[in-house]
This record gives sequence, structure tokens and C-alpha cells, in this order.
Amino acid sequence: MGTISTAFSLISGALNADQAALSITANNVANANTPGYTQEIPKWQENDPLTINGVSYGNGVTETGAKSLRDSVLAERLDQQQQLASASSARLTALDGVQALFTPDSGSTSSKAGDIGGDITSFFSSFSQLEAQPTDNALRQGVLSSATTLAGDVSNAAASLNTQRSGLDQEAAGVTSQVNSLTSAISQLNVQIQSTSPNADAGTLEDQRDQDVSQLSQLIGINQITTENNGLSITTASGQLLVSEGSNYQLTTGAAGGVTDFFLGGSDITSQLAGGGGQLGGYLTARDEDIPNALASLDQLAYNISTNVNALNNSGTDLDGTTGSAANPLYIFNQPTTAAGSAANMSVIMTDPNQIAAAAAGQGTGDNSNAIAMANLQNESLVPPVATTSFSMIQNLSATTALGGTATGSITVYDSLGKSYDATVTYTNQGANTWNYSIAMPDTVTPDTSVANQMSYTFGAGETVDPGTNLTITGNAGGGLATITAPPVVAGEAVGAAGPPPTGYVAALDAAMTAKGITGVTVTSSGGVLTIAGATATAGSVIADPVASANATGILQFNAAGTLISPAANVSGLTFAGLSDGAATLNLQWGLYSASGTANISQTAAATLQSAESQNGTAGGSNDETPIDFYSNFVSTLGATVSGVQAENTAQNASVTQLQTQNNALSSVNLNDEASALSTLQTSYQAASQVFSMLNTIMAAALNLGDQTTVA
Amino acid sequence: MRVDPSYVSNLVGSLDQAQGNEQQLTAELSSGVSISSLSQNPVASGENVLLLNQIQQDDSFTQSSNLVTGQLQVADSSLGSVVTELTSAISLATSANNGTMNASDVKSISNQISGILDEVQSLANTSYQGQFIFAGGQTSTTPFTTSSGTSPAVTTYSGDDDINYLATPNGQKIQLNVPGSQIFLGTGSNSVFGALNSLVADYSSGTVNTAQAVSDTQALGTAMNYVSQQRVTIDNSITQISTASEAVTSDETQLTSAQNNLMQADVAQVSTQLSLAETQQTALEDVIAQLNSSSNSLFSKLPA
Repeated sequence: MGTISTAFSLISGALNADQAALSITANNVANANTPGYTQEIPKWQENDPLTINGVSYGNGVTETGAKSLRDSVLAERLDQQQQLASASSARLTALDGVQALFTPDSGSTSSKAGDIGGDITSFFSSFSQLEAQPTDNALRQGVLSSATTLAGDVSNAAASLNTQRSGLDQEAAGVTSQVNSLTSAISQLNVQIQSTSPNADAGTLEDQRDQDVSQLSQLIGINQITTENNGLSITTASGQLLVSEGSNYQLTTGAAGGVTDFFLGGSDITSQLAGGGGQLGGYLTARDEDIPNALASLDQLAYNISTNVNALNNSGTDLDGTTGSAANPLYIFNQPTTAAGSAANMSVIMTDPNQIAAAAAGQGTGDNSNAIAMANLQNESLVPPVATTSFSMIQNLSATTALGGTATGSITVYDSLGKSYDATVTYTNQGANTWNYSIAMPDTVTPDTSVANQMSYTFGAGETVDPGTNLTITGNAGGGLATITAPPVVAGEAVGAAGPPPTGYVAALDAAMTAKGITGVTVTSSGGVLTIAGATATAGSVIADPVASANATGILQFNAAGTLISPAANVSGLTFAGLSDGAATLNLQWGLYSASGTANISQTAAATLQSAESQNGTAGGSNDETPIDFYSNFVSTLGATVSGVQAENTAQNASVTQLQTQNNALSSVNLNDEASALSTLQTSYQAASQVFSMLNTIMAAALNLGDQTTVA
Repeated sequence: MRVDPSYVSNLVGSLDQAQGNEQQLTAELSSGVSISSLSQNPVASGENVLLLNQIQQDDSFTQSSNLVTGQLQVADSSLGSVVTELTSAISLATSANNGTMNASDVKSISNQISGILDEVQSLANTSYQGQFIFAGGQTSTTPFTTSSGTSPAVTTYSGDDDINYLATPNGQKIQLNVPGSQIFLGTGSNSVFGALNSLVADYSSGTVNTAQAVSDTQALGTAMNYVSQQRVTIDNSITQISTASEAVTSDETQLTSAQNNLMQADVAQVSTQLSLAETQQTALEDVIAQLNSSSNSLFSKLPA
């Protein structure tokens, strides 16, 4: 049976337990505002009962310590969402800086400052005004002034973008030390937790570790893996190990291509980090993707405006009657050599307004046709359109062709500007069922021969005479005929619709004919038309052939039955660059096989070659943006990107808030709960004290055997 | 179920958002512009660039048309004066051809027609803002000079056949000049200077070869009609520019209206939104104040 002593022991245990619980509550209240603190609750445990003479007696309670109210799954989910939210916040801050450079022009005078769209229009409009009075000095100054504004605003925007990029680079590099310090702290906490609390929640230590992991999540995208003995390993979002229980791996930086790259264990993980999340991911996405994209667009705009305007101005006649040449080009803008860096380097190099070539080459200085052409650049495609033409040819190559013998097939293909070319495929027998093929595509201007003894070549925009010498002129020379090969065109002597061929080229033709004694042939040029009158014959391609890619030549292999076995697929990636009409590279796909898989080309024993051909594809322009369309699309795209990231960030922050609320509901200290617990424990302690007091009285009465004065 | 004890911080977040919203709306009201950054409306931002481009092109054309209209009017006026001079010359020639004049009178007619020739040449060499308007593209060269070394004298043209145009925003090209050679040195009997020089020579000796003089007088009449025809080209250009300017001005008005609709803030709408945002802010502040009150804590109920 139980004794009074037992009751004493039991109730003093209860008092101890209540004190411990009160201490936990006091700790909760004390840490109510401590970041990362997880609310603790006392763990009550009923003591094992005493069994005396087969009868069980309760043996009180023990407080076995504090338990943190933690949901590790929820915490990890919160960390992951935090990574995404931090990344989009960092990216959004950077993008806000980018879009601030391109504030929409509301139409008011004050908002026009720095507006590149308005600058583009003003620049081309200045040529429109020059059309009215091409010799007017004020209007010429207006052209240079608007060009300076455009170049200044474009180069300022590019410089600001580069500055922002450098700033982001520094911010990103600065994150490294914070990441390393956190991973180091986490690994040390891992060691402590594993040694002190391998099988249970480590309380404060785990709070610290969770807090560090949470901070790390805001900096960099991570994955968490719980290991044995309550350890934790952390990898980057793409799987590179940062912390492995007690060890940590330091992130290092190094300069590459003018920016900071990030390394882990010797491997460059910059691109993985960019897509991983966290502030670092956001900084790197803005640094390596968003800003370079904006810069590339500005570069393309600056490059194309500068080169096109320069080329036209160089081909016209300025107010002093001068036409540009390779040695003394009439360039308005600093002539870029590549698109990259064009925006940052855009500047006006022309200082004398007289050098603006409002007149076409060979015209008087009062002519305005080149000013019209330059104004009209704003309506022309900034970037040549791109197209892919598919074609197939049904060919039966004769197996009886002698070794080295050839057969040809031809087909008309079209570039994106609609110009036709007769592509010719030459097959050369190599024996053993093997043929070489070679695709050629002459680029020619067909002369107009409607006038007797006269050849007129009309050059389109961007077309020029072949730098190779493939134009020949035959004329009378001292009673007989003589032929000259036309001299090559000097670089910069463009022959285009904007103006006639340069007088230098015509003079060169005259000189070549004089040297050969050819008389009675006159060469004139006007409005892009080169006319050779009095010649009895001309021959040769007049303009340069496009340059073919490597796979324009190859080998066809047939089996014994004459069936094509190699190449086993259609020939794609076939390109011809340098089209004279200014279209972009012509992409071709040669369909060696029909849709059903049957080869279009076969080798037969027939003595004669048969051929039939078909074109099953047509070209279509895919990019015909004028400069202002290009800029309009640029700002729309940039705005849509920022808007998209804003929406993403708002959604992610809402999600973080929701998860944080859930986590707080579980783990934060609720002072109302603590007040309630305090009140309960106080009552409990008071009750236990009363019991103790009464037991004490009972014990005294028992010890004194009724004498009240001996033991009080 | 437990609740998030730090719900007040969430409310503060909402309060921040409401204040941000108010700031944005206030900025819209003060600037009158509804789109202050690309991300607010990316599509409208892109559209705005295109609209402003068209408005500015229209504006630029209006300025250009004002510049060229002056030049065209000077050309038209000069050609009008030429026709008047030629009418006088024909009248003088007709009187000389009727056989009633003595040698001295005929010589006087020759001198008067010579004076008209000088006047016509002066008109053909008319310049506008320092540029010769009947010289084709050679606007800095005096286009017409007369050499009296031969009889009849010969008037030569130093300009060229170049024609300038003004392009309208929709791509239409309006002719800005007629080369002097085309007006004054037309082929055959269309040459003004040819006919005038011939008449001066016809009467210079005082003796009139009536058949030749009548023929030359008729040629001058033909040439004068030809000048009038060329003048029609200039008149047509003036009309075309005037029509194009009106069309462009109307277009510009519509485009400006569209651009305003796109970019300008709707004051009534923004004011309503601002009022709502202010109400929300006040409500949030009241809720936060209420929740932050110490009497809301259970601790306040515990005995001290």
C-alpha cells in the first residue's frame, strides 16, 4: 500500500514537473519574437505505477524535457518556395532598372527625352525634311543633330545596361561569402546535432540550423537531404554538394569573359546556379539573360541603322559634289564591324553637314533622291527576312555513264524576297554505284536587250557587280571584235537602286575598253541601271554568286539494285549566303526521299538520263520589321518579360506567405496559448503545493502522535 | 486549429500594398499619364511607339510641305510672269510683222523683244533661298546663259534633267520641280529661247523677212503654250501638296486622339480607384490598431 512518504515523493515530483513546464513556457514567452525560434511544449510522462501486493498505485508525473513543434516537410517546402520568390524578386529589381531606361513616351515634350523610338523617327524624319530643300544648311544640321541624339540615347542606354550588368555581377559575387559562411555554420551544427541528439529533435540547435538553411534558401537554390543521426546534406538545385553532414564545400569565384563565374570543386556551375533559384539565381538570370538580350536587341538596331544609313550616304553625292569611296567614306555614324557592341559604340562621326549625301551619285547637289532613299529606310526591313525552301528532284542516273561522266538537273528556288535562282545539281559518276553531287546557284541579273545593240542591267537594292571579273563586253575594235573582262568593283562601290553605279566603275569600264581599242561603246549609269550601248555582245554573270555551305557537295551511294542508300535522309542545313538582293541566307532542304520514304533519285541501266523535278516548298518572309517595328517589339517584349516576372513574383510571395502562415501556426509562439498554459500550470502548481502542505500537516500529526507542538 | 500568431505582419504587408497602389494612382493623377513603365501595359507601350512614329512622320510632312509650297509658288509665279512677257513679245512681233513699220520701228521692236528675252532669262534663272529652281539638280549653277556671238543668239542650259520629289507618309511622290530645259528649251517649236532669239535676229536689221518672222512668231506662241502646260505640272503639285497636307493633318488628329486614349489617365476612373484604395488603407489601419491593443492579449486577463 502507498505511504505518506510516497505521496510526498509523488507530489514533489509534480511540483518539479510543473516548475519545468513553467520554465518552458517562460522560455517561449521570452523568445516570442526571436527569429527562427520554434515553440516548445513540455513533454509530460506518467511515471510507472508501483505495484504493492498485486495492487497498482499511480506514481506521479515526470517532465522529460521540451519538444519543439516543428514540421520539417512544411519547413522544406517553405524554403523551396522562398528560393523561387527570392530569385524572382532579385530578377524583378534588376528588370525594373532595365525598363526604367525605356520609359514610354507619353507624347509630352518632357517625356521625349531619351526615348529611342522618338529618336529613330526624328532621325528619319530629318531626311524627309531634307527632301524639301536638299541644300539647306539648317536642315542638314538637323540631320546631324537628330543623328547625334539617336546615337547618344542608344549608346547611353547600352552604357547603362552594361553598368547595371556590372552591378549585378558584383551583387552576385557578394552572395558567395554569405553562402560559404552559412554552409560552414550548417556543417558545424550538423556535427553538434549528430553528437547531442542523434535520434530526436535537437531543439535550439535545430532552430539554428533551420534558420541557416532558410537564409541559404534566400541566397541560392538548394535541395535538402536528411541523413542518419539527424544529419543534413545540402546540394545546389542542380545537385552539386554544398554540405555533407559535417563537411562543407566552398563556392569560389573567378573572372571569365568580363563577368564573375562561380565554381564548386573546380567545376564552373554558373549556368546551373542561374536557373537554380535564390537571389543568386535571380541576379545571374538578369546578368546573363535579360540584360544581354536587351543589349543584343539594341546592338542589332544600332548596327543595322548605322550600316544601312552609312552605306546609302556613302553611295550618294554630298553638297560638295563628292561621292564616298573606300579611302574617304561618307559615313554619318561610326561604322560598326560587328553587331556586338554596336549600341555602346554608336556615335556620329560626321561633323560637316555638307557631307550628307542628299543627292544620288552622279546627280547635281540639288538632287534629293538619296535623301528620299535614306528617309525610306524607316519603311524597309531592318533585318533581311529568312526563309527555307524545300525542293526535290526526280532523277534517274544512268549506270552506263562513263567514269567521270556527268549528268545535271536544275530547279528554280526562291529566296525570302521572292527572287528566283536556278539551282543546278551536277552528278559525277565515281564508279561502284557512287556519284558525287555538287549544287551551284548562279546569282545573275538578266540584261534587258529590247533595244538593239544595248544591254541594260537593272540592279535591285543591295545588288552589286560581281567582284570577280565575270562581265565581259565585246565591241568593234579597228574593224574586228575585241572583248574585255570587266574590272572588279572596288569595295564600297555599291550598285543599287538608291543610285547609279559609281562613276568610278563606269570610268574603269571605259578605260578597259579604250585599252583594247574598242570604240563606239558607251557605258552609262542612272537610277540603278547600268547601260552598255553599242556592244555586240555581253556575257557572264553580272553579280556575285552566293556562297554555298559545305554540304552543297557530297556523295550519293546506290546499292546493286540502283536504290539510293546513302545519304539515308534528306539533305538539310544547306545554305547559300550573300544573296545579291539583300535577302538573308537562303536555307534549302533537298528532299532525296518522298513522303512515303521512296528515294527520288535512282541509278538505272537505261542508256539515257531522265530527269524530272519539282518544288514542293515555297519561301516566306519571317522577319520584315522596320526599325520602328523592331523597337516597338523590343519594348513590348521587355515590358511583357517584366510584367511576367512581376506576376510570377507576386504569386510566389503569396505562396510564401501562405506557407509561412501555416508554419507560424504550428511553430511560432502564441502568447495567448502561453498565457493559458501559464494559468493552467499555475493552478496545477498551486494544487500540488496545497496537497504538499496538507501532506505536511498530516505527516506532522502522524509524527507528533497528536501533540501539535513538537513538529509543526 | 492554431492560427498564425503573427497575423498582424501580414496585415502590414497588405497595408504596404495599399499604400503602393495609392502612390501609383496619385502619380497617374498628377502626371496625367496612365502608363509610366513598360510592364504596366507592354502591348500598349509597343503600340504607343508606332503611333508616335506615325504622328511624328505626319508632323514632319506638314513642315516639309510648308517649305516646298513656297518654292512651288515662286516657280508658278515666275512661269506666270514668263507667260505675260511672252504675250507681250508675241504682240510686239505681230505688230512688226504687219509690214507697216519702218526700219527704225522694227529695230525698236527687236530691242524690246531682246529686253523681254533678258527678262524671261532672268525669270528662268529664278532662285529660291539661294537655289536655282529651274536647274534640275544643278541648283547652285545659273541654268541659262545667252551667247550673242552668233545670229540668232544661242541660249544654253547648264542644269540637268533631274526631278525632285517629296514623299508623303503613305509613299505617294509629289513632283517638286520641272527642269528648265523642259520648260524653256523644248524640242522643235517648243523652245522659248529659240523662238525669242530668232525674233530678235529677225528684226535686228530693220528689214523683216515676213515669212520667217511670222513662222518664228507662231513658234513663240507654241512655246508659250508649252510653258503654260509645264506650269500645270507645278500647279498640280501645289494642289497635291495641299490635299496631302490636309489628309495628313486629319490623320495626325486621329492618331493623336488614339495615342491620348492609349496613354492618358482616365481621371474619373483613377479618382474612384484612389478613393477605394484610401478607404482600404483606413480600414487596415483600424484593424491593425485594434489588434495591437494590449487588451487583446490573454495576458491582460491574468492577475498581476
